[in-house]
Amino acid sequence: MRILRRVLLMVFIIWIAASINFLMPRLSDRNPVEEVIAASMGESGGTMEGFEEAVADFERRFGMDQPVWKQYLNSIYDALTFDLGMSISYFPDRVSTLVLQAAPWTLGIMLTTTLLAFVIGTPLGALTVWDRAPRWINVIVPIVMILAAIPFYLIGLILIYVFASRLNWLPTGKGYSSGMIPEWSWDFAGNVMTHALLPGLSILLASVGIWALSMRGMMVTVQGEDYMVFAKAKGLSGKRRFWRYGVRNAVAPQITALVLTLANVVTGAVLVERVFAYPGLGNLLYQAILVNDYYLIFGCVYMLVLTVGISLMFLDLVYPLIDPRIRADANG
Amino acid sequence: MKSGRPKRGLAVNDLRVEFYTDDGIVKAVDGVDFTVDPGIRMGIVGESGSGKTTTALALMGMIEPPGKVVGGHAKLDELELLDLTEEQYRQHRLATVSYIPQGAMNSLNPVARIGTQILDGMTDHGHNLRGNEARDRVADLLTQVDLSPDVARMFPHELSGGMKQRACIAIAIALQPKLLIADEPTSALDVITQRRVMETLRKVQEEIGSSLILIGHDMGLMAQFVDEMMVMNNGRVVEQGKVRDIFARPSHSYTKLLIDSVPSLKRSERAQTGLNGNHAKAASEVPLLEFDAVGKTYSKGRTRIEALKPLTLRLDGDIPRVIAIVGQSGSGKTTMGSLALGFETASQGMVHFDGVDIGKMTNGASSKFRREVQAVFQDPYASYNPFYKVDHVLTVPLSKFKIARSRSEALGHMIQACESVGLDPAQTIHRYAHQMSGGQRQRLMVGRAIMLKPRLLVADEPVSMVDASLRSTILNNLAAMKAELGTSVLYITHDLATAYEIADFVLVLHKGQVVEAGRPETVIDDPQHPYTRLLVDSIPWPDPNRNWGTGGSIDEELKEVAAADLSAPTIIREQVAGFHLG
Repeated sequence: MRILRRVLLMVFIIWIAASINFLMPRLSDRNPVEEVIAASMGESGGTMEGFEEAVADFERRFGMDQPVWKQYLNSIYDALTFDLGMSISYFPDRVSTLVLQAAPWTLGIMLTTTLLAFVIGTPLGALTVWDRAPRWINVIVPIVMILAAIPFYLIGLILIYVFASRLNWLPTGKGYSSGMIPEWSWDFAGNVMTHALLPGLSILLASVGIWALSMRGMMVTVQGEDYMVFAKAKGLSGKRRFWRYGVRNAVAPQITALVLTLANVVTGAVLVERVFAYPGLGNLLYQAILVNDYYLIFGCVYMLVLTVGISLMFLDLVYPLIDPRIRADANG
Repeated sequence: MKSGRPKRGLAVNDLRVEFYTDDGIVKAVDGVDFTVDPGIRMGIVGESGSGKTTTALALMGMIEPPGKVVGGHAKLDELELLDLTEEQYRQHRLATVSYIPQGAMNSLNPVARIGTQILDGMTDHGHNLRGNEARDRVADLLTQVDLSPDVARMFPHELSGGMKQRACIAIAIALQPKLLIADEPTSALDVITQRRVMETLRKVQEEIGSSLILIGHDMGLMAQFVDEMMVMNNGRVVEQGKVRDIFARPSHSYTKLLIDSVPSLKRSERAQTGLNGNHAKAASEVPLLEFDAVGKTYSKGRTRIEALKPLTLRLDGDIPRVIAIVGQSGSGKTTMGSLALGFETASQGMVHFDGVDIGKMTNGASSKFRREVQAVFQDPYASYNPFYKVDHVLTVPLSKFKIARSRSEALGHMIQACESVGLDPAQTIHRYAHQMSGGQRQRLMVGRAIMLKPRLLVADEPVSMVDASLRSTILNNLAAMKAELGTSVLYITHDLATAYEIADFVLVLHKGQVVEAGRPETVIDDPQHPYTRLLVDSIPWPDPNRNWGTGGSIDEELKEVAAADLSAPTIIREQVAGFHLG
């Protein structure tokens, strides 16, 4: 029952998102079809002869000559069947192909770095307010907190300057070297890893401190709770008090924040992928917006909505496992 | 057992604890000496800030900076507690000295099952039980504190306050310590639950044969529970001895003050003042507050809980009355207050204030209602917004109800409000809530109510969280409101004794039903309903000779209450002018 409600809610969110996505680009007065055709005619050095017919022909192919309400219904239907149409700028590639090609790059790097930052930052933050924490915590945490104040694309630029341009240890960008053919081999995997290192590191350095900071705040609150005093009076070992009583209770809001961050990996990737010319969704979305490629924009944003919707649904379903008090409400 | 070593039990000598604050050194515990022999129950009494909890924490080795134990000895049998290293201390906590916390509401880890929380303490002291052995041990402990073994599988939020406190006791006795320290273990519980928990605590303490230190501010509870006691004030012991001797012949004035501040059956003149009323206005046609078959039902999923069964009453308002609504948590007493305040809508029936149905008020009528009906709540901490100065609770109604036209006029009202409850305006206005004590905060809330000169005041447990000596001050303020402003009061409480002191009429509420009603002296001196009898028997009288349960064991009394017919009509002992029930 509860799961059904969640799924219905998600369908509703997707519908709203699809509608907004249909509307927004059409509020702009630019005509992408004309722009692309004009550009290609200009490139081939030809005259503007037949321009009108070409535009009309393309508009018919994309269904843009139909009444707006029909375009709207089509777009909703297509969204539900995952048929996202053809890209205008990458014609005749299908949007779904482009999006599915780009998605693994983004998800791979963003999921890994976000989870790593969470796993490193959360205990670091918790340890800052723990009386038995090792000394090095007091050195490392201020550093990660200062890094957190610097935008990650700026860190990215610095990393490129130092490790790619100056030391020449790592590539400046792209997902893999241009000579390589994507395949399942150790060579290629290693190449992908070296390319992912700098963008990953820039996100990691920038976000560990944020996790540490918010965990620190929660941990301070939890430390003042009566059950922490009682845990000490029970003579529990420091380790158990820290993990089972302290962190276990402080981590719940962190998990919410983690899921919300994961939900936004696609948008979060735009800047970093631009800086590193990474072949992910963020870059694809950026390119699509530049040329007003409706269908491709919608494809990218649709992925975004899906990740948000799925993440939130996931959160609703796992939260009762984290906090038993929610369990009671759900059953009632 | 080694013989020839006569000194067993706890011996504390010249214990000193200091706190290093910005304002200098505070001597929280200043040279305290006492002994607790094996098997003895010792009470430490004092008000907040007296050093009683600090003494207990020092014995637990749990004084945190900026506090420090600066001197003294605490020997438990042959063990010098104050010389232990932190790790040695950790080993002895629970195993040798065990602590039953204040505020059991929040003392259990909310995300761990009760069974786990019993076992983890044992595990960390080298008793690593597994499987059936672990389950049996947990079941034994839970049974010992009169809980069902099924509780092991439950989470803290699934337990009532009394059950949580029992779970804490089960944890504390798991390793059969030599000394149990119980820090106000029942301060958040109603009198019946308090009596049951304390009886359980006494039973397990006698079974494991440990010494026990009970910390508290309630002289009544001490009289009922401990063998010996000491009274603390400002970090020093002002009096100590056998509990009977102290109650019979209190030698220190502070002890006398504490004993006198316990509400007792010495009914004060308070309740009588204003009875015949300078304020008796001409009998009006329209009653102040009227419940017309008002009931409240909550539904949660498929279960329906009848919080308040249909109740009809009329409070005329021309003669001001203090009506006490007495019952345990869950009896529906707070629901009744919320209905009168219009915070809850009745599931059936209608609530009228001054002739208007409060469910269907126009904006103008609603504003008048909000001004003429004021409330004072239980928790003097939670009633304030921590981001504002305390002035905020005074200035908002002043401007909202357009009482003061200028700043200076508003300030005048605020000063009056502070003075009416004996607070120094200069020390109160422009402070933040956290800079004031709980008692000061609660008095300011009462002062706020007085400032607005309401016709009706709903006071929901206004004194259950303040120190005993302040209790009577606040009750005096309420009585003064009735006498001087002609305000009628709905006084909601679990404590029959304070109701006895202040009320003109008492309604005893049990499971949403008024089971007995009448003048407090009639109801309390000669209770007719088994539930009222149980309530009266559970009052911790400040008199070692008047024991809990003179009417029999609590189990028998509970059985009687359970057997009572809930559909039976209210036992109405008498009526008073100005208030009509039924």
